[in-house]
Amino acid sequence: MYAFTYHKAESVADAAAKVASADDGVLMAGGMTLLPTMKQRLAQPSDVVDLGGVASLAGISVTAETVSIGAMTTHDAVANSAEVKQAIPALASLASSIGDPMVRNRGTIGGSIANNDPAADYPGAVLGLGATVVTDKRSIPGDDFFQGMFETALEPGEIIQRIDFPIPKKAAYVKFPNPASRYAIVGVMAAETASGVRVAVTGAGPCAFRETAMETALAGNFSPSALDGVTVSPDGLNADIHASAVYRAHLIGVMAKRAVAACG
Amino acid sequence: MTLTPTVTLILNGAPTTLHAESGRRLSDVLREDAGQRDVKVGCDAGDCGACTILLNDAPVCACLTPVIQAEGARIVTARGLGEPALSRLQEAFLRHGAAQCGICTPGMLAAAAALLAAAPTPTRAEVETALAGVLCRCTGYQKIVDAVVDAANPAPAPPPPGRGSAVGQPVERIDGRAKVDGTECFGADAWPEGALTVRAVRSPHHAAGFAFGDLDVWRASHPGVVAVFTAADIPGRNCFGVIPQLADQPALAEGAARFRGEAVAIVAGRHGAMLALDLDDFPVAWTPTEPLLSPEAALADGAALLHEGRPGNILVQGRVRTGDPEAGMALAAITMTASFRTSSVEHAYIEPEAGAAWMNGDVLTIAACTQAPAMDREGVAAILALPEARVRIIPTATGGGFGSKLDISLQPLIGLVALKTGQPCRMVYTRRESMASTTKRHPAAMTATIGADGAGRILAMTFAGDFDTGPYASWGPTVANRVPVHASGPHKTPHYLAEARAVHTNGPISGAFRGFGVPQAAILQEMLYDRMANALGQDRLEFRKLNALRDGETTVCGQALEAVGILDCLEALTPRWRAALAVAEAFNSLGGPIRRGVGVASCWYGCGNTSLANPSTIRVGLTQAGQLILHQGATDIGQGSNTVIAQILADAIGLPLADVRIVGPDTALTPDAGKTSASRQTFVSGKAALLAGRALRQAILRQSNMGESATLSLIDGCVVLADGARVQAIDLGLLPADRHGYALSAEETYDPPTLPLDADGQGKPYAVYGYGAQIAEVEVDQELGTVKVRRVTAAHDVGRAINPLLAEGQIQGGVAQGLGLALMEEYLAGRTENLHDYLIPTIGDMPEIETILIEKPDPEGPLGAKGLGEHVLIPTAPAIFNAIRHATGAEMTIAPALPHRVRAAIVKARQDTP
Repeated sequence: MYAFTYHKAESVADAAAKVASADDGVLMAGGMTLLPTMKQRLAQPSDVVDLGGVASLAGISVTAETVSIGAMTTHDAVANSAEVKQAIPALASLASSIGDPMVRNRGTIGGSIANNDPAADYPGAVLGLGATVVTDKRSIPGDDFFQGMFETALEPGEIIQRIDFPIPKKAAYVKFPNPASRYAIVGVMAAETASGVRVAVTGAGPCAFRETAMETALAGNFSPSALDGVTVSPDGLNADIHASAVYRAHLIGVMAKRAVAACG
Repeated sequence: MTLTPTVTLILNGAPTTLHAESGRRLSDVLREDAGQRDVKVGCDAGDCGACTILLNDAPVCACLTPVIQAEGARIVTARGLGEPALSRLQEAFLRHGAAQCGICTPGMLAAAAALLAAAPTPTRAEVETALAGVLCRCTGYQKIVDAVVDAANPAPAPPPPGRGSAVGQPVERIDGRAKVDGTECFGADAWPEGALTVRAVRSPHHAAGFAFGDLDVWRASHPGVVAVFTAADIPGRNCFGVIPQLADQPALAEGAARFRGEAVAIVAGRHGAMLALDLDDFPVAWTPTEPLLSPEAALADGAALLHEGRPGNILVQGRVRTGDPEAGMALAAITMTASFRTSSVEHAYIEPEAGAAWMNGDVLTIAACTQAPAMDREGVAAILALPEARVRIIPTATGGGFGSKLDISLQPLIGLVALKTGQPCRMVYTRRESMASTTKRHPAAMTATIGADGAGRILAMTFAGDFDTGPYASWGPTVANRVPVHASGPHKTPHYLAEARAVHTNGPISGAFRGFGVPQAAILQEMLYDRMANALGQDRLEFRKLNALRDGETTVCGQALEAVGILDCLEALTPRWRAALAVAEAFNSLGGPIRRGVGVASCWYGCGNTSLANPSTIRVGLTQAGQLILHQGATDIGQGSNTVIAQILADAIGLPLADVRIVGPDTALTPDAGKTSASRQTFVSGKAALLAGRALRQAILRQSNMGESATLSLIDGCVVLADGARVQAIDLGLLPADRHGYALSAEETYDPPTLPLDADGQGKPYAVYGYGAQIAEVEVDQELGTVKVRRVTAAHDVGRAINPLLAEGQIQGGVAQGLGLALMEEYLAGRTENLHDYLIPTIGDMPEIETILIEKPDPEGPLGAKGLGEHVLIPTAPAIFNAIRHATGAEMTIAPALPHRVRAAIVKARQDTP
């Protein structure tokens, strides 16, 4: 690991100021991705600003319409929140499927979506549930947030404060995990929401994306059989040692049907 | 505020202040600065979970936690769980045999302790979830789950075995306490004060020439670097190998690297400076050359030769021929041919290679993890041009080996630094370095044909296999010779021709891995047996029974066997087989994408070296103060030889197991008990212990006027003999010290009686064989191609179960590795050098495992015992493949059966079915 200067942020404003004043500053949430990346010298920031001490960034609040999750809320907290389980069981279930207990105790929702790993689970939820990402500067619709592999709409130094998930009529997340990391090789969030049917896929492409053909097919008939005629092209999908693009395309079809079925 | 130089935290209950330079992880600071060496580092990347600690009661990976974030935190490590008395959880681990090598145990304990705090009586499913992030390579996880479930209400400990009754008892491992209380000292856990840290510069290319720049200038410009060494600095023969006449591997490459990860130089210096060192600027210029990455490429006409004098890049060709295979095949009513490929498989022990070296006077002393201390000494002495008397090898606790730690790795490198600098040094391989540079299971490409008569009796078999042995010999010759001997399985095969070639490539070095090629060959043979039985309309298990070798029948090597236990194993499986088939049929009749299947496969395995001398020597002594000392040179890498050999010895002498104190292994203190390999320690070292124990008993009796029926006790420095009303005490303090310093001692050597194999492989390759058979019950998701093994029933003939608890642990661990071989493990050089891309079974992948121990005593083995360690994984993969076909009709042609391959095979099977 290269040398860097460590800062503990006291508040969101303090974190923003510290990142802004650094040559090449990065924000650290749970550190589950940043630390291994730095260890392998794939990243070499001059300064690391730790958000771990910013109490206002962690926590869950639920209203009749919305589940709001603070950026520094751990996966474990979301997985075990009685309110989240009640309001959006698919979201709690998704959180409980991330990594292992050690990762869930340290990893955060804000870190996950800001990093935007192509195989991360939470982007599937943000997109699939039509969530809004609230930063220290603005609100970003989930549909606009994920822009490419490890690329998001966040500007340099912009800090996610919370994610607002509108409570869907029904939703389910089903994934085909990497057996070791439990990252999604393919994960599908299917939801019936006030604004229509949403089907979001993570793990399969450079970043999470919506399967609009599936959404259209499901709009009139929200059942697995509605997807029978929908084919998924492997073009542009990820290929690696764990799954080819063709296999991933196949998995999207299977996982989407299973997600719809799981919606009940 | 930009830097916090220290953190204050509560470490295992004690307020502690630690340095907290930015960038340091909690695991590093706890180990290096706080001396908390029970925090193990297996991957340094959050994959293995060995470094799991409790941070404010929550389990976290210490390697992913910046130390700075621990300010004010309560930290509990394994050692903090139970001091001074062991916690009930730790006791349960000991009682259940949940720790084998013990390297994952501290992390497992921490994760389990967090669960038990929240759920004192967890279900097995809850345990599996809580421990999902900690990898174990030895146990197959079953006994770990058992221990955690049992921790709240532990079953009472059985009484310690009395005099003469240790053998056969499921006694706790006698070296187990240190493994569960966090004090066990592995290769990375101890080093002399001020030791230099050593790192290696390794080839990033599969094949490349290289030349160094100005090393002195580089060293001078890097503060903290003390020394740089290359092949030019090696004083002896820069060439090692487990088979002396084929030795071909340099400790540091000279001029050309033959595989990715080969060491070309080492750098030694101050610890902190070495960790911070960026070796990317080391002055070495690479000239990559076209690598040969498959046997096909290496065997092609005109392919470059990796070694002079090995035409065609063929290292060794093994062959066994009996009867008339062509004529036999012509007689067959039915013949079947198939081909199968297996992948490179990484041992993936959780402890990367590690050790320390220092000069003790003029004796170079190396304390490192190993499976073969005597071979380490021989190899290091030759490389460093030292007489063997000037090299001492002290094996540390070894955190798993499975064959790979038979070869020397870092021993000559740290030995060179200690010898040249006169300073102590230490080295720990990174996970990536461990995976890239050490040996693998041979990838195999095999074709076989089997013919049977109309009744299903095997008449003939031909087998040809190419085994990718990588650039250096290692154990390639052993694989090439073992496979033809074993490829028939434990079945009567009158006409037979099997040939196996070890072929050099620029892939990873292939060496020893539990089974030496036999697991690969068994997949193909068992697949063909299933096809054959199906074609003949016979029950697949009955088909195997029909062909199982019986006592007195001869093997394909012409060896007449005794105590053949395969039929007993198959008989023992029969009730489960019938039940499993019925369950699968009922399940499948419901339809749906999930289908169940059942498969069975057999194994046999000859224990010890193939037709080569293979002695073990065991010494035992009674001190003048009345202590019984076992000089145990066999390294216990978790399999349990410390306990098993002590059990055999105790009963042979007639003293309680609790009296036995173990010394060693240590080449200065223990006679050579050979290597921990080829399932030989229970058999060969156990037999030497039996002979040594009996000899000591006779020596004791000679000091008395008592006969063989006397019972012995050690009381207050005396051996007390009793026979009925007669009692006699021998005061050991009054006896003169013998040449070993003991009042009484005995040393015995046992070498299994084998005979050489002729050009057709005819002879007596092994003195003892073990047998086994397993049923795998699987569930295949036909839409996804995923395979879940639900249950494995394993029947193994161990001759005599010296320790049923440890035997069961070997079986469960072997099943786990067999499952990995079948379903997920595929090492790709440069692409899977970590434990998230290279997949090994996790706790959630494991089936329920039922173990059936068969005891058909072997006339040669100690008290009838046969080896077990390798047998256990041989049937697992073929049973799983046969179960996949039973479930889906899809026949795999390559291992591992990754989901996309299974899916493709299912699609193909449907297309092939009219």
